[in-house]
Amino acid sequence: MTEQKLDANLYRPIQSTGAYRRLMIAYYFMVKHPSWFGKKVAWITSGGPVEPLYAMGALPFYPENYGAMCGASRMSPSLCEAAEHKGYSHDLCSYALTDIGSYFTGKGPIGRLPKPDFLVCGNNICGTVIKWYEIQARAYNVPVFFFDTPFIHDEIQGHTLKYVQGQMKDYISFLEKQLKRPFSETRFEKVSNWSLETIALWKEILELSRHRPAPIAAFDAFIHMAPIVTLRGTRWAVRYYKRLKKELEERVRTKTGAFGREEIRLIWDNIPIWYDIRNLSKLLSSNGAVLVADTYTSAWAMEEPNLTYSLDGMAQAYATIHLNRSLDYKVKKMVNLIQRYEADGFIMHSNRSCKPYSLGQYDMRREVTRLTGKPGLVIEADHTDSRSYAPQQVEKQILMFLDIVRGTKSS
Amino acid sequence: MENKSPSIREFERIVSLEYKDMGSHLPEDRIPVGFFCPYAPEEMLHAAGALPLRLMGPPIKMSRVQAHLPPNCCHLAKSSLESLLQGELDFLKGIIFSHTCDVMQGLSDILAFQKRIPLQFNLMIPSNLRSERSLPYLKEECRRFKDFLETNVGVVTQESLAGSIRLFNQIRERVQRLYQLRRKGPGLISGNDFAQIIRAGYQMDRNRYLVLLDELLNGLPQEHEGTGGFVPVYLIGNMIHSPSYLTMIEEAGASVVYDNLCSGARFLRLMTREDIDPIDGLAERYISSFLCPAKHGGPTAHLETLIQEVEESGAKGVIFLFYKYCEPHYFDYPDLKKALEAKSIPSLLLEVDDPATSLGQLKIRIQAFVEMLSSV
Repeated sequence: MTEQKLDANLYRPIQSTGAYRRLMIAYYFMVKHPSWFGKKVAWITSGGPVEPLYAMGALPFYPENYGAMCGASRMSPSLCEAAEHKGYSHDLCSYALTDIGSYFTGKGPIGRLPKPDFLVCGNNICGTVIKWYEIQARAYNVPVFFFDTPFIHDEIQGHTLKYVQGQMKDYISFLEKQLKRPFSETRFEKVSNWSLETIALWKEILELSRHRPAPIAAFDAFIHMAPIVTLRGTRWAVRYYKRLKKELEERVRTKTGAFGREEIRLIWDNIPIWYDIRNLSKLLSSNGAVLVADTYTSAWAMEEPNLTYSLDGMAQAYATIHLNRSLDYKVKKMVNLIQRYEADGFIMHSNRSCKPYSLGQYDMRREVTRLTGKPGLVIEADHTDSRSYAPQQVEKQILMFLDIVRGTKSS
Repeated sequence: MENKSPSIREFERIVSLEYKDMGSHLPEDRIPVGFFCPYAPEEMLHAAGALPLRLMGPPIKMSRVQAHLPPNCCHLAKSSLESLLQGELDFLKGIIFSHTCDVMQGLSDILAFQKRIPLQFNLMIPSNLRSERSLPYLKEECRRFKDFLETNVGVVTQESLAGSIRLFNQIRERVQRLYQLRRKGPGLISGNDFAQIIRAGYQMDRNRYLVLLDELLNGLPQEHEGTGGFVPVYLIGNMIHSPSYLTMIEEAGASVVYDNLCSGARFLRLMTREDIDPIDGLAERYISSFLCPAKHGGPTAHLETLIQEVEESGAKGVIFLFYKYCEPHYFDYPDLKKALEAKSIPSLLLEVDDPATSLGQLKIRIQAFVEMLSSV
């Protein structure tokens, strides 16, 4: 196994990364040249129901996933500036600004964005996407389907469920109209099975980090989550995650951790700081700390136990995802993660660009600490726009926090 | 000041009350319940025996809110939470959130977490107003709201709800007349007074408000023509949280002939049908005529509404008055501006945070804009 020395801690790169890269290159190649494959492209939000799209033979493109790519490749600031130059406020979500900037400039990691044939917008992740997709519907002059999932402050109401389930039927009608072909139950069942299998595999992969040492760190999971977002409902995602799982199970069997030293186990909350993953990983690992789980990647390991993946079951699953749930729910989830992964503390990214994730974090930190006795830290940044990030300040905060965690562990 | 009508003086007195003084000035027979936006059906609250009080984000020294909210939230959210944390809202028996944007959604949860106000309800307004499923869903939500009020505040009968709808429709009709008078005769009611009138309507007993509006209207000349030299402008944005903005616009030589403000003319679109089931009427208006930028009425709905209203108003220019960090408005802005430019209508963007600050700079920008419009 290849090992890299990362400031006095050994990092063990995941071998499946090569397969991951090939898979994502193939996906983006198809998205970039849909007509070569006889496909229509639908832009879809990260929490949108993708299975019907795959079942109907359309190709989904995820502007948010693309935004993450732009962030990781440090292209976001210039793309955001291009959008700002056209009158968009600097205070808007940087995923949206990156996408809009890419539309105006034709720039980005894959060059000009694939023109959508239609858009699918689900507001189960945020209200930002409503405006963002309206803008792109006007810019590209294409229809948009809006899947409205009312936020769940307590429990989902019967009429709310009926409302979202009805929209799922409308969604199918919309797809039939756009793609000019009938919806096939058989094909949908096949795609749904692949989707469920992918979700199950992803969940199992994340669960492996309950072992000590954790075979995969959250910073790796942030990278390897791309297929579950973009290719959920395909056999390629199933194949890839089987491979990744096998590699990680072997690590568990041989007690091989993602890092040589794992003295402190932490949980991460919120979308990663895409442009600084490597530095933060290095900072934590060189101090013996490993992020063993997070609330972001686990959002795709849907928790609804009665997930049947009929259209109705799917509507319910999409209406009840992590980001569409209350602060109480998020507190419980964080407490649960801390207990299940035997974490020593948690880091919360107060993400300037994601209000549904970030509002309530300060109260959540106090409450989770009260319930678990584990310390938490809130750091301020933006998921893709490095202009709103003070790395040295964050580094100092993390180092001080790790001292506190050590103190708590030894007491 | 001495020439002001008794109605205006009463409006000013109401508006001058700070939250901490409000409790002792409220009618004793009504239960004070706070709300944030027009998507909370005031009529239902009123019918249940509550006094709906709109929380409009007054200036307040921020000292506690930073421990609960990130800095990039609008002034309304920060100010309201700060008021709550300082105990200034303790006189409220309940608070109603009606779903709009991500900040208000988060604020609702944070506020509930503080456990300072006995009752809280989230009315989940659909975000997609185009779907034929939205109206039946919203009617169910309104019924859920009615159940909540009946359990916690008071019974809502068909008659009491119909009566409250009639009252609020009458108020809207009077406010509509004020708008018409201001359009015909700018200067007839000063911007400062107009802002107070509007604001008072969210903070006082609504029966008394109607009486005062009638007294005010009866005392105004009904025929008043002529622009008085004012340049007609259209105002779009969040809410008239401070009279200073309208005053500054007037002092610069312009008059707001119509607006699309959350606390302004958008309120007039809530006129409710009285010939159908009251709950159906309340729900229907939100789908058919009320459009907040946080809602989806189709990709071009907001553009079409703006252009139509600006053209009808005869405004020579448009002022965007946005809370800093208001995502729904700021996402719409570049395309709205472009649509106005295509019609050769100039516009000015003003970003406001705490209404108590940065007025000087705004004044200069408004003056320059009005001067530019004067020469068009």
